[in-house]
Order: sequence, then C-alpha cells, then structure tokens
Amino acid sequence: MTFGDFTPEAFAFGFFTILTLGGAFGVVGSRNLVRSAVWLMVSLFGIAGFFVLLSAPFLAAVQVLVYIGAIGILITFAIMLTRSMTNLKERFNKQWWLAALAALTAFLLLMVTVIVPTWGEMGAEEIPPTVASTAQLGEAFFSGWGYVLPLEVASLLLTAAMIGAIVIAREDD
Amino acid sequence: MVGMEAYVILSAVLFVLGAMGVMMRRNAILVFMSVELMLNAANLALVAFSRQWSGVDGQVFVFFVITVAAAEVAVGLALIVTIFRTKQSINIDVLHQMEG
Amino acid sequence: MIDVPSFAELNLEVALPGIFLALFTTVLLIVDLFIPKDRKITTAHLTIGALVVAFVLNLPAFNAGETAMNEMFIADAFAGFVNMIVITGAIITVLLSVDYMKRSGIEHGEFYSLLLFSVSGIMFMGSANDLIVVFIALELLSIPLYVMAALRHDDVKSEESGIKYFILGAFASAFFVYGAALIYGATGTTNLPEIFRAIAGADGIVATENSAMIYLVIGAAMVIVALGFKVAAVPFHMWTPDVYEGAPTPVTAFMSVGAKAGGFAGLLRVMIIGLPLLVVNFGDAVETMAIGETITVPSAWQTALWLIAAATMIFGNFIAISQTNVKRMLAYSSIAHAGYILMAVAAVGTVQITKVAENDYTMVAVYAESALNGALVYLLAYTFTNLGAFAVVMSLENNDGSGTMLDDFNGLSKRHPLTAAMMAFFMLSLIGVPTTAGFIGKFLIFDAAIQAGLIPLTIIGVLTSAVSAYYYVRIIVNMYLKDAAVTDEAVGLTPYVNYATIVAFAGTLIFGLFPMLALDLLASSGAQIATLLF
Repeated sequence: MTFGDFTPEAFAFGFFTILTLGGAFGVVGSRNLVRSAVWLMVSLFGIAGFFVLLSAPFLAAVQVLVYIGAIGILITFAIMLTRSMTNLKERFNKQWWLAALAALTAFLLLMVTVIVPTWGEMGAEEIPPTVASTAQLGEAFFSGWGYVLPLEVASLLLTAAMIGAIVIAREDD
Repeated sequence: MVGMEAYVILSAVLFVLGAMGVMMRRNAILVFMSVELMLNAANLALVAFSRQWSGVDGQVFVFFVITVAAAEVAVGLALIVTIFRTKQSINIDVLHQMEG
Repeated sequence: MIDVPSFAELNLEVALPGIFLALFTTVLLIVDLFIPKDRKITTAHLTIGALVVAFVLNLPAFNAGETAMNEMFIADAFAGFVNMIVITGAIITVLLSVDYMKRSGIEHGEFYSLLLFSVSGIMFMGSANDLIVVFIALELLSIPLYVMAALRHDDVKSEESGIKYFILGAFASAFFVYGAALIYGATGTTNLPEIFRAIAGADGIVATENSAMIYLVIGAAMVIVALGFKVAAVPFHMWTPDVYEGAPTPVTAFMSVGAKAGGFAGLLRVMIIGLPLLVVNFGDAVETMAIGETITVPSAWQTALWLIAAATMIFGNFIAISQTNVKRMLAYSSIAHAGYILMAVAAVGTVQITKVAENDYTMVAVYAESALNGALVYLLAYTFTNLGAFAVVMSLENNDGSGTMLDDFNGLSKRHPLTAAMMAFFMLSLIGVPTTAGFIGKFLIFDAAIQAGLIPLTIIGVLTSAVSAYYYVRIIVNMYLKDAAVTDEAVGLTPYVNYATIVAFAGTLIFGLFPMLALDLLASSGAQIATLLF
C-alpha cells in the first residue's frame, strides 16, 4: 500500500519524528517538572519506535522496559521527593541566550558539514534489509564470549552505582 | 524507503536539543533529563549505523549505553535528592560557577 | 549456536591485575560488614594489601604485548605503566584517607571499595582496545568518584561538588557516546586497531573525498570534548575548582591524579591506536612528491589539540596566581598540568607520508613513541608530586575543612621542618626544576613537541612554566621567610599522612635522579604499538 512516494514506513518515520522531537522540545522548554518528565517519556517512546523501524525489535522492548519503565519512573520519584521545585519561576539560567546561540551555531555547523555533503551520496544507498533477530543479538553477546569484558565491567559498574547510591542516601548514624 | 541520512539528521537534532537543555536549564533534574535525550540521540545513531553495516556491534553498544544510563540515574538522583534535603533547592548554574 | 571457547582462549592471565582487583573489591564489600565500626582501619590495611598484590601481578603482565578477551583488552607496556601509576597513586590515597576520614567523621568502609572500583576502572581504561570498553571503563572510573566527592554529608560544599561533577561527567559521557557512534558509523567497527586499518585504507593513504571522513572528524572532536572534561582541559574545565575545593581532600588528591591518568589513558588509546592517521587536507605536496620523498602533515585533530593545550596552559597558570586557597590553587595548577600532557598528545598528530612507489604511500605517526613516553613519565611524576603536595595541605587542614589558605603555610619550616622541606621539593617539581621528577616529564614532552614541529606550542609551554614558578615559589616563601600568626598544631600530621608524604617524596626524588628507571620500562611500548599496527 503506497501513496506515490509516501510509503507506510515514511509515514511511521514522520510520526515517530514528531513524537521524539516534540517530546524533546517539551523537556527543554516546559515550565513544570512533571510535564517535562512526561515529555521525556514521549520522546523515549518515539526512539523505541525508530528501533522497530530499524529492525531492532528487542532493543525497542528494552527501551520501553528499562528507559521508560525504570529510568522514567525513577526520575518521577526524584521529582516527587523534591516536589516544591515542580513549578519553576526561572526557567532558564542567566546565560541561556549564550547557550542557545552556541548550540544553534554548533547545529548549523553540523548540518552544513555532515548533511550537505552526505545527502546525495548516502541517501542513494539503500539500507540493507537485514534484521538482527534477538537470537543473533544473544549470540553476538555470548558466542565465543565476544563481549565478556564489557559485560563484566558493566556488572562492576552496576555494583558500584548501587553501593554509591546507598552511601549517599543513608542517614549518618 | 527512509534513507540513512534522515536518521543521522534526526539524531543530530535530538543531540543538539539535549545539549541546549543541559546548558540552558537551571534545575538539576531537568539538566539530567536533557542528558538522557543526548544519550538517546547517540543510541539512535548507533542503531541506524548498525543497520547500515548489517552488523550487531552498534546494537550491542546501545545495550551498554542503557546499562550505564541506569547506573547514572541511580547515583545522580540520589545526589539530587540529598542536596535538596540540605539546601531546599536543586538549581545549578553550570556555567556560572567561576569565581576566578 | 553458542560457541563456548576454552578458558585458555580468553587469555585471562594478562588481565590478572585488573581482574584480581575487581574481584577483591566485591569481596571487600562483604568482608567490611564484619569489621566493627571502630576498627575500619583493618579495611584500609586490606585495601593496601590488595593494591600491593595487584602491583606485583602487574609485573609479569607488563610486557606481554598480547590481547585478551576477544581483542577487547590489551596488555602492553602502556597498560602496564598506567596500572603502575594508578596503583601507586591509590596506595598513597589510602594512606591519606585513613585518619582524614576518621577525624572528619565520614569513615565508611564502602569508601575503600568505591576507591578500588574507580582504580579498576582506570586500569581497564589503560588496557582498552575497543571503544565500548573505553566507554564502560570511563563510567566505572567516574561514578564512584561522584559519590566520593559528595561524601561529606555535613558540608553543602561537598554535596554540591558531587552534583556538579556528576552533571558535567554525564554531559561528557553523552558526548563520548555520540562521538563513538559517529566513528562506528564511518568505519563499521568499534575495535581500535580495526578503526585504524579502516582509516588507513588499502593503498596506504587515507581517502579524503569521502563522506565517512566528516563523521570521523566530528566523532574525533566529540571524543576530545568528552575526555577533555575528564582531564579538565580548557574550555571544559569549569567544574574543576569548585569540585576540587568541595570534595574531601584525599578524594580531591585522587581525582587530580587518578581521573586525569584515566582520561589521558583513554585519549591516548583512541588517538594513538585508532585515529593517528586521520588527515583531512594533504595539500598539493602529495601530488608532486617524487618516489622516495617524505613529507610531514598535521592530522585533522592536531590543530584542535594545539589550541586546547595552549589555552589550558595559559589559563590554568594565570588564574592559579590569583588564588589564596591552596586547595583551589592546586586545582588550577592541575588544569595547567593537563595542558602540558595535551601538548604530548598533540605531538602524536604529526604524520609522515612517504611515497614508496606510484600510487603507493606509507603513513606513519612517527612521533607517537616519544610523545607517549613523555606523557606517561609526566603522569608518573605528576602523580607522586601532586599527591605529596595534597598530603602536606591535608596535614594543615582542620577538621572542618579550613586551614588551607596560603597564610596557613606561614612559618611552617619552623614548626615542621621536614614537612616544609618536602613541600618545597614538591613545589619545585611542579615547576619542573632539574633533579625533580617533574623536570624529566617536562623535558620529555617539550622534546617530543619540538621533534613534531610544534615550536610555538613549546614556547608557550616554557613561558607558562616560568609563570607558574611565581605561585609555587610563593608557598616556599611563606613557609621559610614569613612568621606564623598562629601556632596551633597541625591536626592532620598523623603517622599515616607522614608515610604518604615520604612515599611521594621518594618517588619524586628517585624518578628525578634516575629517569632511566621509568624510561627503561617504557622502552618497548612504542615498538609494541608499531608492531601491532603496521
């Protein structure tokens, strides 16, 4: 089912773009912290959609479960624990215009240097239709112990983070 | 077919938006949320490139990024909540801390 | 099918120091639960013991020159040397912490575990052979440091220091991931030697008319920004003074050498192994070269590092002059020292192109070896010297964190002659006066920079060193020529702090008098890197 050049995939891409960027604008511009958190989840959901489009369904599931589920909820908790801050009188810091200028310049630079030269060249390339199945991903992780070192270091990292969070949060006795 | 460059542009836009959030907002939690946006922009780029190279390296990298994000959120939010308890405020002026 | 290789194929023995330390840390977490609250010194002793064992295990792995765990890990002289620096630094830090933590009422057994987590992160960073490992190791070294910086619950400054460090650290991590993503996008791999091979191309010369090139340049820039934050290079230094001032002093001491060593290890790995030949603009010279002719060109990132190094040296040294708090002064001085090491990294970016035959070129980063030696020796010297300086500052620091102003050093030579003499020696080493380790480091770096043709940068380096003498000598003047207004006892001058000061002093002196000790260890590193790559 196509409408000229307008394929379902292009439609989905547009939809998720609106979710992702709209959510991002919401996070950066919102006056209310709780709303920002909700916008963040919308944006993260858009990213999960892109993962599906890019045939990474398992990552999309992880994105929803870990990012939106765990991290989003944690952020919401932190907002609730600091709740007198939810309505912000001063939205931006004093140098916001400077920061905005710097970021916009960087963005234009990025656009000019990355996009313009690559548009024709890489746009012409078809994306290979491979689908990395969940099984393939699992094999990449564990077959031949390909990623044994980062996996182990990541587990150390999680331990350190857990211990660290406890050390910070506990009352001195 | 949506081309590669569309994904790269999108991730660049998202990254810059996140960076703007970090530099412009005063509230620590908001700054942190903007960092999450930046990390997600990087994840999007990684998955897109992974598709382009028909490999899984990029996707595996994304797993580790999500792990790290989880670890950061645990420590970061603990810090934010503690400082709120003592200061009753979580405003920061990241660029405004030079005392010469 | 899942293919399970034998244990031997993983080649774990070359990674033994890191593995041992990581395992010990998790065990220590549990053991610490059974150590009564008033006897936490046992935990410190166990920590020192483990660090010494790791140091010994590091010796046989030193020159293995082998990769392990599917090319993700590499044990070469570079890794061995970084391990040595960070283990020594950690031992001194533990000695500094024992009494300080107790007298400021923040003695937790977990402190030592967090420290060891950070140390193992730096060790994995030194051995990283893959962008994924660099990233995870970077986080493992940083996350415990965020916590350790905020350890003084009673002090808002310390908590603020933790949160500032955290926010800017997370910001920097995001830059690193995006940069790594772009590098992956351009080359299709995250393995550093493979990135190198992908860039070098089949005919030995990099194709510049390629869209992938732009990804690589921006990717490299973002990696430099991210690691620039970690090593506190201008303009990514803004967190440094506040964080250094607010954090508990032993943590500051470790941050200033450990996090710096880790950041530079990552930067050197990525730049020397992965991206040394990233040249964008060859100019016309390449076309008109005769067969057998050799020219040198700068790599794409050299100018950027040149500017960052110059700005870092100038800014760090000039702002340090106006500081009255010695802890803050050492923070700015630590920014300045990052500039000197960045100078060595910039020297790697001078690439030599030789035309072997028609359409056949070779490209070599010829000064990588001398620059690497300079950077590593400088890091070693800086570790001993700076930890020593912090040890002395700590011995004067009161329990509430005051007592670190310049005036508090007045008349120290009369009250504590030995401590004052050692402090004077550390200051001379930070300036880079001959017979100190600091001199050797500076000499090697300037030498490498001159070889690589970075003459103006070297001149800036020499001039800013002269400027730095002003504020370092001021401390010596205060200690020897001024009389103290108050004569209260230095509460921090405990036996453990004395041991730490003496170890640091011995290191500074020995490597200053016998630099060959360090250089011999490094002799094979450049050759190893060369054989791995070419």
